[in-house]
Amino acid sequence: MVEDSEIISVVNEQGKVIELLSVNEWVANVDSGVKSGKGVVVTPADDVGLLQESLHKIPLIALDFVSFDDGRGYSQATLIRKRWSYSGEIRGINAHLDQLQFMLRSGVNTYDLQEQYQGSNEHDYTHGFSICYQVAANNADMKEKF
Amino acid sequence: MYQYNADDTAFLVERVDQFEKQLKRYLAGDLDALKFRSLRLRNGLYMELHAHMLRVAIPYGILNTEQLRALADVADKYDRGFGHFTTRQNIQYNWIELPEIANLLRDLSAVGLHAIQTSGKAMRNITADPFSGLTEDEVEDARPYCELVRRWFNIHPEFSWLPSKFKMAINGAKLDETALQIHDLGLKIVKNDAGELGFASYVGGGLGAAPMVGPEIHPFVPVEDILSYLESVLRIYNLKGRRDNLKRLRIKFLVREHGAAEFAKMVDEDWQHGKDDPELKLNMEELAKLKQDFALPVKPLDLGDFKDTLDINYSIWKTNNVRAHKIAGYSVVNISLTQLGTAPGDATSGQMRMIADLADKYSNSELRTTKRQNLVFPYVRKDQVHALWQDLDKSDLASPHHGTLAHVVACPGADYCDLAKAVSIPIAQQVQQRFDDMDKLYDIGPININISGCENSCGHHHIADIGLLGLKKNEQEFYQITLAGETLQETIIGRKLGRSIAGAEVVDAIEDIVNIYLENREEGENFVDAFKRIGIAPFKEKVYG
Repeated sequence: MVEDSEIISVVNEQGKVIELLSVNEWVANVDSGVKSGKGVVVTPADDVGLLQESLHKIPLIALDFVSFDDGRGYSQATLIRKRWSYSGEIRGINAHLDQLQFMLRSGVNTYDLQEQYQGSNEHDYTHGFSICYQVAANNADMKEKF
Repeated sequence: MYQYNADDTAFLVERVDQFEKQLKRYLAGDLDALKFRSLRLRNGLYMELHAHMLRVAIPYGILNTEQLRALADVADKYDRGFGHFTTRQNIQYNWIELPEIANLLRDLSAVGLHAIQTSGKAMRNITADPFSGLTEDEVEDARPYCELVRRWFNIHPEFSWLPSKFKMAINGAKLDETALQIHDLGLKIVKNDAGELGFASYVGGGLGAAPMVGPEIHPFVPVEDILSYLESVLRIYNLKGRRDNLKRLRIKFLVREHGAAEFAKMVDEDWQHGKDDPELKLNMEELAKLKQDFALPVKPLDLGDFKDTLDINYSIWKTNNVRAHKIAGYSVVNISLTQLGTAPGDATSGQMRMIADLADKYSNSELRTTKRQNLVFPYVRKDQVHALWQDLDKSDLASPHHGTLAHVVACPGADYCDLAKAVSIPIAQQVQQRFDDMDKLYDIGPININISGCENSCGHHHIADIGLLGLKKNEQEFYQITLAGETLQETIIGRKLGRSIAGAEVVDAIEDIVNIYLENREEGENFVDAFKRIGIAPFKEKVYG
């Protein structure tokens, strides 16, 4: 079962609106997608392997973390950022406060928190841990022990 | 003995700080109950029938006496003066107040203890052989590997929100004290033909309503590649494990769905990308350092013509509770926490402190915990075993029934646990009362009885000689009996005897089963071997006939 994300566009790091295609839409229309500067939205059930071939042409990949207990997005981010060395923006959408550091360490570099977390102290959760015990896509600012 | 450094302690404190903030948000109504549930479970906290339960990890079953005293202090300060040692080398407290929890966890962090990932859909505390490093014929002491894997799964950024819980075991001995094939992932330390060390991996074992023996998925993962291999197993599970069917969440269902060969291929394909990544190679320098930290603290002793005391009660206790040590002059001593008349695995704070004092005096200040809910003294001089027994006896901790029928393993059951369908502890006590004659127990020999209060199988009933599973029918408590499960030599799930039996009659049924064994066994034949030879029919006939 593939659930479509409800998010159809995001504003990227440079402040530009990026419209998002689903993984299937992108794979079927890579050339026109690239030409019109479209990004891709990935839901937990999507197979990110489908993006591998055209990965470096995608200006922005939005990973949907809408379901708190569904951890597939962390593996998707790791594959895209670490294994396939994607250097573009990976946006965590529908993000949860308590999972920010997990997301960022897995390779997500920007995020949109769900509305319920407005006004929270994000730093507590982006930098809650100063020590880490494993290799990850991004261990910046952390003391590593492994 | 290996101890955490300042970084590790800082990490534990950071974890407590974060959990305290989450708890405050929950209590203030800023964090919904469902998300808080997911977070609190990852910190070992269950909200139970009468109060809240906290499960504290005893990483791979090793404790020093300072830690045991801290556990006793927690029992007094935050609970009702006792704790329950579980079948998975953890300790549980049953009467914890929510506002106290951060202080409790801070107290524990000061001695390197924590409740990280003792529950929830994450990687759990590693089960290890409580006799690691002590057994003559073991392939390798598993403890340094346990520590490296423990570090790796702590707050893993990629694998902290899995489809379900994920339990691991690591065994370096010939006999399997860990029951590794009933774990989601079991690693057996092996040597290849070239004499190099590696791990045979078994994935997809588990108990519960659909018990399964985990099949071998890889015969030999070289030591330096173990973390990249684990990442691949976990990644396949994280991405492909069922999340839609609540009864099919564990990795065993993924392995069963694809078959072991196909699952192994999926893992292998992913692993090809990770195994040569220099970052994912095991840190061999750190491993060498850990091997030094875990080196045995005792040297061989020449006890000359030492002769142990002859005393009938001491001898019976010694036969059941003391085992050989690979270092000359030393013994390994099991202390049974399932005393007659008390709940299996329970220890009062007074007992914990007393045991800590004795471990200081007799066992180099170190203890181990076991899946049979015992404490083990790993370094007792042979010429001090008798003195230790006398000290234990003074505190009613020398009952000699370790390994006998009266040593019942049980989960907390419906008396304490919200999930349980039936009681466990009172049944264990009835069994102990029925078989209270030491001569008879000695004659019956080593039979183990395990009781689980529900299908979650925390009492490991599937792998006992006689297993009891609590059920509820028309508001009455019934027990499903299974026979001849085992894990030490090979992993066998116990066979169901037949229809379940009412609570009032279950101890009679156990006595019938024991009698059939006694009538039929050949000289020196244990329960499982006798069962294999005579089959289930005579047991059925006696119990239901």
